[in-house]
Amino acid sequence: MAKYLLKRIFYLLLTLFIVITVTFFLMKLLPGTPLQNQQKLSPAQQHLILKQYGLTKPVWQQYLIYVGGVFQGNFGTSFQFSDQPVSYLISSRIGPSLLLGIQAMILGVIPGILVGALGAIKKNTWVDTTTTIVSILGISIPSFVLAVLLQYFVGLKLHLLPIADWGGFAYTVLPTIALAASPFADTARFTRTEMVDVLNSDYIELATAKGLSKWGVIYHHALRNSLIPVVTIIGPLAVNIMTGSMVIENIFSIPGIGEQFVKSILTNDYPTIMAVTIVYSVMLMVVLLITDIVYGIIDPRIRISGKSN
Amino acid sequence: MKFNKALALGAVSGVSVLLLAACGSKSSNKSLATDQTLNWVETSNLPTMDPSKSTDIVSATALNNVDEGLLRIGQGSKLRPGVAKNYKVSKDGKTWTFNLRHSKWSNGDPVTAKDFVYGWQRTVKPKTASQYAYLYDHVKNFSAVNKGKMAPSKLGIKADGDYKVVVTLSRPQSYFKYIVGAPAFFPQNQKVVEKYGSKFAANSKQAVYNGPFTMTGWNGTNNTWTLAKNKNYWDAKATKLKAVKFQVIKDQGTWLSQYQSGKVDELITDGTQYKQFKNSKQMHVRNSASTFYLEMNQRKGFFKNNLNARKAVNMAINNGQLTKDILADGSQTPKGLVPTNLAKKGNKDFADAAYVKSGTEYNLAQAKTYWKKALKQSGKSSMTLNLLSDDTPAGKKTAEFLQSQLNKLPGLKVTTSNVPFNVRLSRSTKGQFDMVVSGWIADFPDAISFSSLFTSNNAYNRGQWKNSSYDTDVKNAEGKDANNTNARWNDLVNAEKTIMQQQGVVPLYQQTQSQMLKSKVHGVQYFPTGAQWDFSHAYLSK
Repeated sequence: MAKYLLKRIFYLLLTLFIVITVTFFLMKLLPGTPLQNQQKLSPAQQHLILKQYGLTKPVWQQYLIYVGGVFQGNFGTSFQFSDQPVSYLISSRIGPSLLLGIQAMILGVIPGILVGALGAIKKNTWVDTTTTIVSILGISIPSFVLAVLLQYFVGLKLHLLPIADWGGFAYTVLPTIALAASPFADTARFTRTEMVDVLNSDYIELATAKGLSKWGVIYHHALRNSLIPVVTIIGPLAVNIMTGSMVIENIFSIPGIGEQFVKSILTNDYPTIMAVTIVYSVMLMVVLLITDIVYGIIDPRIRISGKSN
Repeated sequence: MKFNKALALGAVSGVSVLLLAACGSKSSNKSLATDQTLNWVETSNLPTMDPSKSTDIVSATALNNVDEGLLRIGQGSKLRPGVAKNYKVSKDGKTWTFNLRHSKWSNGDPVTAKDFVYGWQRTVKPKTASQYAYLYDHVKNFSAVNKGKMAPSKLGIKADGDYKVVVTLSRPQSYFKYIVGAPAFFPQNQKVVEKYGSKFAANSKQAVYNGPFTMTGWNGTNNTWTLAKNKNYWDAKATKLKAVKFQVIKDQGTWLSQYQSGKVDELITDGTQYKQFKNSKQMHVRNSASTFYLEMNQRKGFFKNNLNARKAVNMAINNGQLTKDILADGSQTPKGLVPTNLAKKGNKDFADAAYVKSGTEYNLAQAKTYWKKALKQSGKSSMTLNLLSDDTPAGKKTAEFLQSQLNKLPGLKVTTSNVPFNVRLSRSTKGQFDMVVSGWIADFPDAISFSSLFTSNNAYNRGQWKNSSYDTDVKNAEGKDANNTNARWNDLVNAEKTIMQQQGVVPLYQQTQSQMLKSKVHGVQYFPTGAQWDFSHAYLSK
């Protein structure tokens, strides 16, 4: 297991290195500068400012300096925030993003599994129809539309929860719901389909024939076996939440990194774009690693180094 | 010594002394609300609180409320006293003497002339890489100091004792009084700046303030901050507000909901919202100091020396329709190149004084006549011209509209290119265009900020329209008439009339800012240039 983990972490670092390199050179192709007032600056003054940011050096030197910095945790200086290290920008803004992401993941996946399972058990009844309709709605309504609807009805009309801003649990509720809708729907649909398959399989019939209780069969045999494919979609769901957060954070004025990412793209603030890309890549790779480990826990057949001896 | 000389010189030739009457807050019969907390919105994050490094409106607004330069700009571009009680200008217009009041920083230190000297030198020296240092271009030795060829101490500013600042300019600049109100000219507390080094003003704690408010709650990257009343401010009794709470809202729909729910007190409307609320009593439409105009490439080719062609283009464009129906965001039809409400002499607005009817007139029949003459002059029967514009929504709308209008001229086919801002700048600077939609925002309330753009060799004169009488007028305004208010005004009015009569550019629209403001909010000052808002005399009624 340890050997497997080490190998995975090595590949993770390698992937990260490739991501950094590709993003760096792609960003260099964009016409971004730290000049905020380009129109009114003379070429000499422009050169002076670019020099301060180390942008007058050849690109390959900039690349080496950048990579060297990244491995020491130095992501450079933001173009939008003068003198603000990007590492500080990210560390001071990642909290709200992580909190929302984790809340949305929990709110999406766990009820999703329950609702999906319920739909499968009560197949072809009104319960099944209702859960299917709810999950189809969850998939087809984009998160930003849901966000605006929630703001309008729950926030503005009913005064139940804050419309936007940040500061306490109440402020996280609406954005979490908006973010969780699509993962919830995905998980519910997936679980239902898998569960229906599993419930029709021979071993379930065998278990029932052995006289196990209905819920015992469902919990020990059906649910556990239908969860394996569900775990597979957790990676893509995490991506879904990350990209969704860029829009949701903007709509709810949340001081997270998703919102900052949008702004840095619009202002060509590439040290920030690079750093956020790296952070997102790391988060995604870690989620994928965890899913692979979770596989083994749920299904002994997938364990990496089994106790076959 | 220098100061004494200037005074002596002044005594002989008659010093122009401008005493500033303290502008007391107007007593109002409206009763004050018990909670004097104003909730304001910005659409971008606050990037810095370092006066030397501020380039954007968010930080300019914050700085203008928490700090104070020699003078403050008030409503209608009237000057108010700042740290300087009064000032004198020598007869030759090159020596400015500011007498400072005894005032304090928020940490209790006295604000002295040395703070100004230090702040100005810090902004100009190359290491700081200030993006607004160019505002110093009239100050003696600016360019040598800015390029690092001369020590910062050689910059034309000296402290004469603790409460007198003497500024030496390399050439007279009558509008220098407005410029010293900008954040780049604020005093800086050397002790505090050096204590925090590169972290100075990177958050609200690592800074010190000398304005009507102090700042709290800004960690450098977050979306909220608060301006709290500064009890150490010299005119603190005039500050009615307890606090101004700022919140960053980037989504226009969210902003509207927050405004409607009463969480915030103002809303800068976009086009759709402007249409919805334009008849509301809470709607305030204000001129901004920004004009968008069409430049025609006169380096060579069709528009060069072809006045008929330029007149035809101007008269074929219905500016009224562009602002009312196409942009429909409150933008206004321009009277000329220099925006309305930018500069005034007495009660006369510059844009009215220099108004030339034909310069912005729409007359399609007349346009067609001019166009036929223009084609004849160039010996062509048809013409394809490219129109370069920004890829922003307004840029695209403008380009499409102009295309449809200009295609009505016989034998003209207009194609459009919508490109990002940077690309537009670089192409237009290199002259790679036939027509380009450009825009300019004035940095200070004087017509010269626009007029200086279109002299023959100016880099911003992208169409390279050239006119010797225009050049002479602008040169006189900056040179021989720089100290003569009337002559200078007439020079600039004449220059503006020339560029309009010769149609050096075609003014398209003047940007405005349309704001919904809760009716309980009073006394917030709006500036069309530089820092946008001043809350020092604002208050909330019941």
